[in-house]
Amino acid sequence: MVQFLVKRLIGLLFVVLGVTFITFILGYLAPGDPLTLLLGQHYSKAAHAALAHAYGLDLPWYEQYWNFLKHLSTFNFGLSYEYKNRAVWDIISTGLPKTMELGLWALVLTFLIGIPLGVFSALKANTWLDTTNMTAMLVLYAIPVFVLAVFAQLFIVWLDSVTGGAYGIQWPVAGWGNAWQYSWSDIQYKLAPIIVLAVAGVAYFARLTRTTMLEVLRQDYVRTARAKGMRERVVIYKHALRNALIPLITVFGISVGGLVGGSFFIETIFNIPGIAAITVQSVFTRDYPVIQATSVLLAIAVVLANLLADILYTIVDPRIKIE
Amino acid sequence: MDTRKDQGREYAQGAMMAPNSEPEMIALDQASGMPMPEGDNAKRPATSPLQESLARLRRDKRAMISVGILVFFVLVSLIFPPIYQRIGGPYVSGVTSLNIGPQDYHNYYHEELTNQDQGPSAMYWLGTDNLGRDDLARLMQGIIVSLFVALFVEFFDITLGITVGVLAGYFGGVIDQLLARFTDLMLAFPGLLLVIMVAGIFGPAADTAFAPIPIVGANGNARLILVGCVIAFAVWPLMARVVRGQTLQLKEQQFVEAARTSGTTNFRIIMRHIIPNLFSVVIVVSTLNVANTIVGEAGISLLGLGVQPPGSSLGLMISEGQTTITQYPREILIPCIVLTIIVLCVSFLGDGLRDAFDPRSKD
Repeated sequence: MVQFLVKRLIGLLFVVLGVTFITFILGYLAPGDPLTLLLGQHYSKAAHAALAHAYGLDLPWYEQYWNFLKHLSTFNFGLSYEYKNRAVWDIISTGLPKTMELGLWALVLTFLIGIPLGVFSALKANTWLDTTNMTAMLVLYAIPVFVLAVFAQLFIVWLDSVTGGAYGIQWPVAGWGNAWQYSWSDIQYKLAPIIVLAVAGVAYFARLTRTTMLEVLRQDYVRTARAKGMRERVVIYKHALRNALIPLITVFGISVGGLVGGSFFIETIFNIPGIAAITVQSVFTRDYPVIQATSVLLAIAVVLANLLADILYTIVDPRIKIE
Repeated sequence: MDTRKDQGREYAQGAMMAPNSEPEMIALDQASGMPMPEGDNAKRPATSPLQESLARLRRDKRAMISVGILVFFVLVSLIFPPIYQRIGGPYVSGVTSLNIGPQDYHNYYHEELTNQDQGPSAMYWLGTDNLGRDDLARLMQGIIVSLFVALFVEFFDITLGITVGVLAGYFGGVIDQLLARFTDLMLAFPGLLLVIMVAGIFGPAADTAFAPIPIVGANGNARLILVGCVIAFAVWPLMARVVRGQTLQLKEQQFVEAARTSGTTNFRIIMRHIIPNLFSVVIVVSTLNVANTIVGEAGISLLGLGVQPPGSSLGLMISEGQTTITQYPREILIPCIVLTIIVLCVSFLGDGLRDAFDPRSKD
């Protein structure tokens, strides 16, 4: 097991290096001189050189990359181009909790709704309930997340116009309350974005759970459990479900990747000031250090999720030791 | 007690049924469309695996309806705009007091500031947006953009995927190792993030560089060349991985062995025996990938990094419709619904193709 994990860790290290290199080299090759933006129209060569030195832009690329990596390890992402003398970390740290909150709740919903739906479908396999459920999941999985977000907003607009603000129901169409706080108004803000972000994951997990569950239910040991006269509930939840969940661990990393991608649209459409929205804004202001920082953070989140999935898998499924 | 037993039997039957494809086989005979008299097999035309797969696809109602809808959308978007620009009488503009014919106001970039946010009418079949542009014309242009981005990306996806995948699978070694590492990297790096970064950083440069190219570069589409390249760059490792797996299997087949024994060169084996057999895998993977590409392009344009106004794209229409979502929800609903229909149809077609080419994967 240790050997397997070490092997995976080395692989992930390579991935982290690749990710940081891609982000670095894109910023390095970016056209235009960001310093002229800072200096204004009239500046002396000396001032330009001094500023280039301050940002470390006068070094050759490999030294710049090395500095980039060194700073990364201490969460020092340097200074923003757009907001002079403001640390990139300052800008990101306001958005980070919101993005994490959004993503974590969506992940929780993915498991809490997707898996039961899949189990339900597997138990009712090939009935109209199963077919309807799976068709709905297929459709929900295929619909782009930003289209779902728009539909959710239209629904909120409609709901507000129907209720007319009665019963304290005047749902906001966009925005995000206070991070990690759950007063009634906060919940009103957060409910729609979280649900919409979770939908694709829910659909994916429901379909996958149905497949793995059906496979497990065909196994001999399930038949043995039934033959012993065990209660159906025990057979399903204790014998079958536990084993059906194992393959789901492997797609944990993929679903985190999906959430990262989806958060760009959710944060843009619902106007949530998280780091995905900050990234998109920084793209327009060409604030490369901010883009680099958020990209590395988001990519590392996906990498860590993959690592976590690997570790969980080795714990849950001892057979992995053999490999 | 009884019910439990029944359930058990049902599952047991399920287990027996699953691996074989008996219903599929019976259906196949129907598919060939021949009456099949006994002892008259010589008359029956030989069906190739491809014909059998296509016959299976033809019986998949959901896939065929999807094909119909997609063909309808594409044909309308390609053929109808010039016709649409000849329908309708001239109109005196409220801004310039000039006579404007349908060749102008049925154009996707023509703004009529006196006709903002109009509902569907004989003049504007699907209404106008918040700048007074014809929504039907913009919609058709958006579908064309989606189509061409999808074709562009698939061209590179298939070319690169087959080349690298076959080389990695057939020869193994360094190429195989590099491909594995690169695939790991691209799977960990969220593809959308890469597209956003590249489109954001090099977008303006791409605008100036590609704009002079006729047809492709015009109308604010220049940046899409860059976006398409990056999407292709992000997706081809997946195709290469699938092709590699298939090549590894094909390599061990007896016909390849036979070819090798009779002195066929590696190049010839790859070109004549491996690549033609990849057809079904490649067609399935690339169809499923088209849905992702269309969503990706729309998403990037929605974020403002793809098609630039006054050009049109489904994603751009959605982001423009957002400004009037409370007053005129029609403007945002139209592109949303059309995009959803297209993506669903492509996904259904992809699923249908997979079932048709590989019936065992159905469960």
